Amino acid sequence: MERRKFLGLGLAAAAVMLTPMAKLHAINFRETKPKAWEAAKSTDAIKALFGDAPLEKTDKIKFVAPKLAENGGSIPITLKSDLDIETIALFQDANPRSLSVVFSVPEGQKVDYSFRIKMRQTALVTIVAKTRDGKLYTTGKEIDVSIGGCGG
Amino acid sequence: MGKMKIKAKEKNGVVQVKAMFKSLMADKEEAEKKKIDVQYIKRIVGKANGKVVFEADTSGFMSENPLIKFSFTGAKKGDELVFEVTDNNGKTKIGKKKIK
Repeated sequence: MERRKFLGLGLAAAAVMLTPMAKLHAINFRETKPKAWEAAKSTDAIKALFGDAPLEKTDKIKFVAPKLAENGGSIPITLKSDLDIETIALFQDANPRSLSVVFSVPEGQKVDYSFRIKMRQTALVTIVAKTRDGKLYTTGKEIDVSIGGCGG
Repeated sequence: MGKMKIKAKEKNGVVQVKAMFKSLMADKEEAEKKKIDVQYIKRIVGKANGKVVFEADTSGFMSENPLIKFSFTGAKKGDELVFEVTDNNGKTKIGKKKIK
């Protein structure tokens, strides 16, 4: 009886240990990295989200954006890559806070996202991606904004 | 948070998705200027067959009524795509659509 109880405890412990593992696939960056959402500068926000590891410039992430955006309230962005990316985020220096969006790429899926962002003024937009083997890649572009979005 | 519009089409094993989520996406500063309540979507999760196929943490710097396009593999025609959207007040909304 004692032994059975002991085994049962072991199983319960294993189950408890496994639960956070399963949750790793769905990281809620709002909860885990609140600081990253408050930073005003891209460099600070990138550090808060991805840590201090060096960023490697890459052309393997296709980052499509207009050079000149007439309407800062709606700037189309397309991100595409064949790299095995785990997380990809967009930072800009135009708004009060830098981090705009973070995509957590589910396992086995490729980066292929199109969306629109707001920018108050002309600024540099930086994309940072973390691959599943832990490397950080970056690419960036300056976008000219003629009429600012964000109600500005 | 209003409605959402979802379109999903499968071709050669790849599902192309277009989804529009109704929200003003107004962050602190913008809400102050327009004298409206702060309102933005902070998290979007898309699932098909119980598996997460799309996951994004968003901010008020996405455009109004964010339109997101993406593609994924691992689902076929007739499967259901389910989106769960959470706004800044923690309210969630669920939208479903069959893949065509």
